[in-house]
Amino acid sequence: MISKDEIRHLGWLSRLELTESELDRYAAQIDEIVTYFDKLDTISLNGSEPARSIKKVSELRNDKIHMFEGNPLKFSRNRKDGFVKGPRIV
Amino acid sequence: MPNHLYRLTADEVASGIKNGDFSAQEYISQILERIEKIDVKIKAFIAVDKQSAVEKARSIDKRIRDGDRTGRLSGVAVGIKDNICTKDLKTTCASKMLEGYIPPYDATVIKKLKESDAIIVGKLNLDEFAMGSTTEFSNYGPTRNPWNINYVAGGSSGGSAASVAALECAISLGSDTGGSVRCPASFCSVVGLKPTYGCVSRSGLISYSNSLEQIGSIGKTVCDVEMIMNTIAGTDENDSTTKATRPITTATTPNTASLDRMPKYSRHQKKRNIRVGLVKELIEGAEPAVSKCIYSAVDLFEGSDCKCEDTSMQSIQYALAAYYTIAMAEASSNLARYDNIRYGFDFSPEGYEWNTYFAKVRNNFGEEVKRRIIIGSYVLSAGYYGKYYLKAQKAREMIKQEITSLFEKYDVLIAPTMPILPFKFGEKIKDPLTMYQIDIDTVVANLAGVPAISVPVGFSDCLPVGMQIMANEMEEQTLFDVASTFERILDIRKSPEI
Repeated sequence: MISKDEIRHLGWLSRLELTESELDRYAAQIDEIVTYFDKLDTISLNGSEPARSIKKVSELRNDKIHMFEGNPLKFSRNRKDGFVKGPRIV
Repeated sequence: MPNHLYRLTADEVASGIKNGDFSAQEYISQILERIEKIDVKIKAFIAVDKQSAVEKARSIDKRIRDGDRTGRLSGVAVGIKDNICTKDLKTTCASKMLEGYIPPYDATVIKKLKESDAIIVGKLNLDEFAMGSTTEFSNYGPTRNPWNINYVAGGSSGGSAASVAALECAISLGSDTGGSVRCPASFCSVVGLKPTYGCVSRSGLISYSNSLEQIGSIGKTVCDVEMIMNTIAGTDENDSTTKATRPITTATTPNTASLDRMPKYSRHQKKRNIRVGLVKELIEGAEPAVSKCIYSAVDLFEGSDCKCEDTSMQSIQYALAAYYTIAMAEASSNLARYDNIRYGFDFSPEGYEWNTYFAKVRNNFGEEVKRRIIIGSYVLSAGYYGKYYLKAQKAREMIKQEITSLFEKYDVLIAPTMPILPFKFGEKIKDPLTMYQIDIDTVVANLAGVPAISVPVGFSDCLPVGMQIMANEMEEQTLFDVASTFERILDIRKSPEI
């Protein structure tokens, strides 16, 4: 059973400030969904390998620098002196 | 000027404009009028780009008058799902978190459409960040089904399918992570393709689950979908997962750029003696009205050059759990980037400590997105990673192996696209697990990375039924051959009265 506190903790890890009513609702819904996922637990980890990308590192393109046209930051609402303002770190 | 140009297929529009039967400006003005008249009811569009559409039409007409060559999609009105970046045209993902975002670049597929002289008429509604099966999770309100506006249009590319069905554009692009092109195509009675993973560049597609999603195409006919694929498929240096769509046979260094300019699929290339596997679990698992339509279509198809037999897929029992585990895990990682600093809604960070600010602004994601981020964090967290995520990847490999072995025996596999008929708004929105379960028929193709197409096969109680055809990796041509045969023998194409 997934508790409300677990959902609160997962919310914090995901940087989501959930309301009390969201915590109640998500706890019940997510418990039901994850219980459905439990059918995966019947699969043995022996035998075949899990799926993974078949792309080999050597197939990746060269790391070339391309100048980006336009200003990707022009839609920030919090600019000052050519910088983008964010929240304080401490 | 001919009336009702908006009713034409992309193929008819491109040839009509090139042959001088009507001008691109005449056509596009009818399309824009149609959108203005109809979209208040359907709500397929988030934004309409009238000015650029009219300017582009004018330039195509001038080039035709001057005797210059124009592209494959000359003048064709295209709608774009609003999670694909369009330069200087807002791209919202139907989310408050992307409010005010205007991409400084075009997605690769958009560049290719523009080079082919398609006219982008606007951006189309979706479930927020493409998470949903009904378009009810859009921050802009739901798109309505053109066959009955009290019913859902399907999702997440609901706007893409509804706009084509309602004759607001000739063709559209959507994205398909677990059925998001095929589901609304089925619910709106249009053709929708999810290509092979790697067949179409994802550069500029705002990512939700990058190992599963592909940009797909929607049209009124199989031929139109084939035209889009001839335009957008191919390798792209900005997406390392793309693959060449034609086998390279020359001994010298292949020039993939020139290969990409060639038509890859042909409407005249008909494969004979098609071997068809009917996926028993999915057909029998659908509601009777749906399976009845599928069997009736297959009965007619059996008269043509093919052999149909029942087949079974054991690993399907794990498909839905594996799909949602992987998709949500990838979503929780992909959506970590949204912090409301570089773009987003008006909320000053002044005075906030960063963790508090991010948690506060990120709570403006919608209900379904937050649910998926939380579950994604859960299945990736210490103690649960082995139980869920690792086993989901294992299930994915089992599904890939089983489907590969089925394609040694069959050219195509047939199943319903959706196990149920379109339903009324609000019917499933409070019960997320039930909503997820309606994706059971479509997620297999995404997990295995194979192409799948949905074609209309009939109606039940005036609501559309779609049939799904899957083929092996890079076998889109086989899909087009089989789908166009169904289209021809069923001959049910019609448009809704709105």
